[in-house]
Amino acid sequence: MRTKITAAVGVVALALPVANAAAAAKKKVVTVTKTVTGPEAVADRWGYVEVALVIKKTTTTVGTHKTVKRTIVKVKAPIYPNHTDRSVFINQQAIPLLTQEVLTTTKFNPNIELVGGATATSYAFQQSLQAALLQAKKI
Amino acid sequence: MGMGIVVATRDRDVPEDVFDWFRHVDDTFSTYKEDSEVSRIRRGELTVDGASEEVRRVLGRCAELREETSGFFDIAVVDGDPSGYVKGWSVDEAAALLDRAGVQEYAINAGGDIRVRGTWRIGIQHPLDPQSLAKEVEGTDVAVATSGAYERGDHVRDPHSRHAPAGILSVTITGPDLGTADAYATAAFAMGGHRAPNWTAQLNGYEAMTILADGRVLSTPGFPSA
Repeated sequence: MRTKITAAVGVVALALPVANAAAAAKKKVVTVTKTVTGPEAVADRWGYVEVALVIKKTTTTVGTHKTVKRTIVKVKAPIYPNHTDRSVFINQQAIPLLTQEVLTTTKFNPNIELVGGATATSYAFQQSLQAALLQAKKI
Repeated sequence: MGMGIVVATRDRDVPEDVFDWFRHVDDTFSTYKEDSEVSRIRRGELTVDGASEEVRRVLGRCAELREETSGFFDIAVVDGDPSGYVKGWSVDEAAALLDRAGVQEYAINAGGDIRVRGTWRIGIQHPLDPQSLAKEVEGTDVAVATSGAYERGDHVRDPHSRHAPAGILSVTITGPDLGTADAYATAAFAMGGHRAPNWTAQLNGYEAMTILADGRVLSTPGFPSA
């Protein structure tokens, strides 16, 4: 995650023009702040990540000479599903809350009659496992 | 259909009609059979309008499901192959057949997609370890469908981005209809870990269990955990 933010910042930094300091009598300064959003990037564990940067652009005009300076004021990186989804679950009252547990591993036991799933298992394994389970229960 | 289907009954023998039915489904819908209606449609030799009522009904339902899932279930992504929906739909029809034959307790397992009448103990395979279970479910008169990283050897992809969905290991959907549950599971999985849980929470009449890549398991309140 940090690497992605750094990379996004790096890309923007390269695009920034070099600012020149200028000293003179008549000076006009205009400042504009804008938010730019990077493309959605697929991250490994956290899902889609979209980085937003708040840019401050300062235009300094001295007589006929104009310089522009841009700085990154803030980096915003909403991370799914870590902190955003919790507020979504609570705020959207029309949607019922989901219960949350930690993934555990359970062994097959004699109570299991059917096996459901869609993992990297061959159908042959599924089918023979299922048939064996049913035979064990003498159905 | 290229995979085995196990039909188990508790109170009487499995009627032969059930196997005739699955053979008929294969003959009509299999993309591995040159003469099936689906194969002929895909080759342009048969129009949808000219196809049988069954085929038109299945393709119509696939179009509805594309709408319901905002395009996350879309058979266009697999060149118009409706097999993903046909699998569950054919089991639903077989269940109706068993009901008409008076069978009171049965279970049908089509490659991990399940439909039961009566109460059955169902184990959901662990998405990372196929020799273990992630969850035990007590299902009564219900369909159970699961979507994960590998289905029929292909990768499930997000139809919008064409990437494999991130942050998610599997989605299990339970409800009254297996064809629909299967499509919902496929769609939810394709949405990825940041969208799937919320989407499953607003489904009407269907319960869900979403397993995220970070090890969290998010279930709707009515999911029939044992």
